[in-house]
Amino acid sequence: MRLNDWQRELEAYLLGSDPTANPALRASLLGSSALSAEQGLAIYHNAYRARLLEALRGDYPAVHGWLGDAEFDALAGAYIAAHPSQHFSLRWLGAGLADFIDAYLVPAQAAPLGELARLEWAFGLAFDAAEADALSLEQMADLPAEDWPNLQVRLLPSVQWQLCRYNSLALWRANKAQDAFPGSLALEQPQVCLIWRQGLISQYRSLQPDEAEALHGMAVAGWNFAELCVQLSELGDNAPLQAATWLRQWLCDGLLQRYGG
Amino acid sequence: MSAESSSLGYGLGLRTPYYQAILEQRPAVDWFEIISENYLVEGGKPLYYLDAIGEHYPLVMHGVSLSIGGPHELDRDYLQRLKRLAQRVQPQWISDHLCWSRGNAHQLHDLLPLPFTEESLQHVAARVRQVQEVLERPLVLENVSSYLRSADDQFSEWQFLAALSELSGCELLLDVNNVYVSARNHGFEPWDFISGLPAQRIRQLHLAGHSDYGSYLIDTHDQPVSDPVWQLYQRTLRHLGPVATLLERDDHYPPLEDLLGELEQARAHAAVALQEYQPCA
Repeated sequence: MRLNDWQRELEAYLLGSDPTANPALRASLLGSSALSAEQGLAIYHNAYRARLLEALRGDYPAVHGWLGDAEFDALAGAYIAAHPSQHFSLRWLGAGLADFIDAYLVPAQAAPLGELARLEWAFGLAFDAAEADALSLEQMADLPAEDWPNLQVRLLPSVQWQLCRYNSLALWRANKAQDAFPGSLALEQPQVCLIWRQGLISQYRSLQPDEAEALHGMAVAGWNFAELCVQLSELGDNAPLQAATWLRQWLCDGLLQRYGG
Repeated sequence: MSAESSSLGYGLGLRTPYYQAILEQRPAVDWFEIISENYLVEGGKPLYYLDAIGEHYPLVMHGVSLSIGGPHELDRDYLQRLKRLAQRVQPQWISDHLCWSRGNAHQLHDLLPLPFTEESLQHVAARVRQVQEVLERPLVLENVSSYLRSADDQFSEWQFLAALSELSGCELLLDVNNVYVSARNHGFEPWDFISGLPAQRIRQLHLAGHSDYGSYLIDTHDQPVSDPVWQLYQRTLRHLGPVATLLERDDHYPPLEDLLGELEQARAHAAVALQEYQPCA
């Protein structure tokens, strides 16, 4: 058999669910008294699934813990079958799991589980995102007063913005602490959870809706500091103080980089 | 430069559980081998520790995704990223495996064996030359443990490696454990393999453990080195002289002290073996 044909046969065998090889592939192999060709094929067939499942379990420990081994492996197996790996690194194997969950499960199950999966993936993205210089309190202290109104900032590359409609963060925390999982609950009000890396340490924090709106306005929509104050004008004279308080918190958290001037 | 004169000594595979202990203890390890793909990321802990450990130890880059024997086009993006990582790491050399890990359509994430045929040889040799042009250095290729053997083989694995090295200029990473595992599984003499390789092309040795499934072995890299592999290692050194030796552990990570102890065993076995090494005049 030509090399390319043989590789095509073996690839199809590894990706397929049937551990029995077709006659052409079987006939292309020699067994030994120690290891038959069937045993050898089965070793690779099993290893393919085991390796990919292990990667997904590693990337989604809370989803795994929530579902248990059997249900997680069924979900992950269906995902792998539908989306065989395209990236050279297993680091990216699980990139589409949350979207897959959305379509694979009934909506009542998919919504909370998909959200938990997105939250876990966001932690992974924060973990090895690109470095960038965080804007510091010291740098801000040195900013001339006339530059404040036009100050613009952006989120650092590691910052992940997750809108949670369920208590996914509580599930994630319970799994991390190896506590019993709380029941899945819809939140009374959707909540933004930020996940980012400060130095080498992963951080997360839930934002109240007004803080989330302000941060989104400044760091995503591109408001400058003066515009933020205008947006907070219903606070009256307290608007600049609230804006400065939040900005100080975001700088302490290490969320922002300077944008433009 | 011969492999002997460039021997780095005795190294360990750099793995995440040991990062902090390595920086704190600065163990007496001559060098570390990294899994290249673990550092093809944008930032964070992996690159931080890579830089910090690289300040104190020589590094070697060892990849698992090149798929040098694959049916697909070589991944130019991967190669460029590997090259950028090499600029950062300044590795002593760059290795991967004589295998394929990607098929026509998908990544298979395994070190799959090739048929040892003339067609495979020409296919792999041409691709090695392309990789070496990009990386601007010889590629070092490792023999894998295998559980399949093609009925179409025209060469033994060692004849194939020797011919590949001759055709492409690549160097060899001889994994002594993989030789032992494949020899048991396929029923050949491990010494035929090792003595059949071009000694001057062997840049590095690997040592690792395997799991015994009765009649056959699986290369799990999660056990201490077995006695027969130590014996084969000693015989290899008596034949080759000093060669950079790396102890690999990829799962069931013991405390760093245990791995350092096993590395000391390697040094001790090597010291005995090298007393009997007679360099060619």
